[in-house]
Amino acid sequence: MAGGSADERGEWRLALPLAAFFLLFFIAPLAVLAAWSFYAATETHTLTLAQYAKFLGDRFTLGILWNTLWLGVEATLVCLVFGYPLAWLAIRLTPRWQAALLFVVILPILTSVVVRTFAWIVMLGSQGVINKTLIAIGLIDTPLRLLYTETGVVMVLAQVQMPLMVLPIMATLMRVDRNLFDASASLGAGAWRTLWKVTLPLSIPGIVAGCILVYAACVTAFVTHTLIGGARLIYMPLYIYQQATGANDWPFAAAMSVIFMVAVLFVVYLLNLLGRTSKGQIYG
Amino acid sequence: MNKPDMNRRTLLAAGLGMGVAAAFPTRLLAAENLVVATFPGTWNEAQTKVLAPYFKKRTGASVTATIKLAHDQVAMLAAAGGNPPFDVAIFDDPQVLDAVKQGLIVEYPQAKSPNFKELLPQYQDPWGPKISMQVIGIGYNPKRVKTPPKSWDDLLDPKYKGRVGLTALNSQLGIAFLVELNRIKGGTDTNFDPAFKALKALLPNVGAIGANLGAYATLWQQEEIDIAPYNFNFVQTLKGKGVPVELSIPETGAVGWRTSLHLVKGAKDPDLAVQYIDSSLAADLQTALEQAPYSVIPTNGKVQLTGEITRTLGKTHADLAKIRTVDWAVINPQRGALIEQFNREISK
Repeated sequence: MAGGSADERGEWRLALPLAAFFLLFFIAPLAVLAAWSFYAATETHTLTLAQYAKFLGDRFTLGILWNTLWLGVEATLVCLVFGYPLAWLAIRLTPRWQAALLFVVILPILTSVVVRTFAWIVMLGSQGVINKTLIAIGLIDTPLRLLYTETGVVMVLAQVQMPLMVLPIMATLMRVDRNLFDASASLGAGAWRTLWKVTLPLSIPGIVAGCILVYAACVTAFVTHTLIGGARLIYMPLYIYQQATGANDWPFAAAMSVIFMVAVLFVVYLLNLLGRTSKGQIYG
Repeated sequence: MNKPDMNRRTLLAAGLGMGVAAAFPTRLLAAENLVVATFPGTWNEAQTKVLAPYFKKRTGASVTATIKLAHDQVAMLAAAGGNPPFDVAIFDDPQVLDAVKQGLIVEYPQAKSPNFKELLPQYQDPWGPKISMQVIGIGYNPKRVKTPPKSWDDLLDPKYKGRVGLTALNSQLGIAFLVELNRIKGGTDTNFDPAFKALKALLPNVGAIGANLGAYATLWQQEEIDIAPYNFNFVQTLKGKGVPVELSIPETGAVGWRTSLHLVKGAKDPDLAVQYIDSSLAADLQTALEQAPYSVIPTNGKVQLTGEITRTLGKTHADLAKIRTVDWAVINPQRGALIEQFNREISK
């Protein structure tokens, strides 16, 4: 890096094509969406805040928003609980086994989300694999209700989004100096104490990145919500879709999209904040 | 030229060019290709296996079909603003009204369509010919429901607790069922309280509500539900795949609506589009589509009714003409409010 900063050499211009692409295909449509959210109706384009008032003044719609945000929290926690040990294990394996594990982890991304979700219907149904197995080994008498329940949706989301949690944590853990673990052990810390005092704090950036990715993917997973949740569990993406196409109410759908986006961004901001404060504690 | 004027780079470029040409032969060589919208399920299968080959034989052009529900097509055409993503739209009765109001389709050029005049009068819509009719009744799993249900009230029978299915109101099936339930329970097209009261009474029996028709079909395939409102053609399609499902027409009668093809405003190849629509009206094509597993109800007066249609729905075209329809001009403006109320009633 001898030739001055990137700024002086004009390297920033390399980002221009992508910036232009984003401006044209992401920012501009977003602006159109925001404009629509202030219209009075699909046919009348007088400006009003009525759509926002309608959403925020209704316990039913607020309930849908809350359920969606909470669903994301549940699925993210499940991903973290199951994903962290996997990442922890992965960095301790020989390269060959590590590659094998990595392949298994990313396998879900390699099939279409629709196909995967239909496969889960076959698994979760009352005549499905899980229920038939549980009945066969005598654990239950009547089939468990998994399809069309929130538990089912969380299970499927956790499986589908797992790679987004495992990969960032693995990447962070791989960068951690192995000598730190040995040092911790030689100073008398047991495995759990090392995990709690050394490994976990050092992997916070990976955990935060994983949580943000999984959370954003889970709350917007339209296909999983509708196919596994059915019509009785209404989450924001399905509700927005219904308003836009079924009810032909574009302004309300646009206002809901804006509110939903802001809400998700707020949760992501909180996660970031959490990451930053806990990083301070390691060195403090 | 004593030496071929070809160095490594041009050779590579030529090879690459041939490779690309081989990879996308249709893009470069095919004379014409028509993009049409099609419904998921029965119509898509009939389109791919029967109508598209028939059209290709007639015109030499190929068909690319995009599978979309009618509501989604209206939304896409409205959003496209004069640059439609497909040339032929497929609608049910209610969307024709919406599409005409929003100026998304043009009047059908009947003069260019020789088969149009062969349609029965009730199917000769100036905005686009009716290609079929869809009818709803009570679907049931014959393995578990031994006597065919004869009344919509059968859905309320406690013995079906947790085994009744419903579908969300974004499909015609959902809306038409609600309208019929309302009528039977004494409601009118402007007062849906009786329907929602009946729905509330029905909910304890309801095991699952499919968010869309694909999910709904899966409920039958996985035998998650035993009895539910269903569509005549979907039942035939599923039966063709070996799924245990039958349709019974209740004593209060069947309810139906018509399906039509339309020339989209701003279509890239309007003449080809009309040829495609006209193909779907031909007597020999409709006769082919009337066979199992499609059992598509014909609209061409020259086509005799046969097969599953005569067994379940009616012996003659006159019988089919008596099937009750829905007054979509009154229902359409209320659709948003009905979906909203339905969501609130069913939400857990």
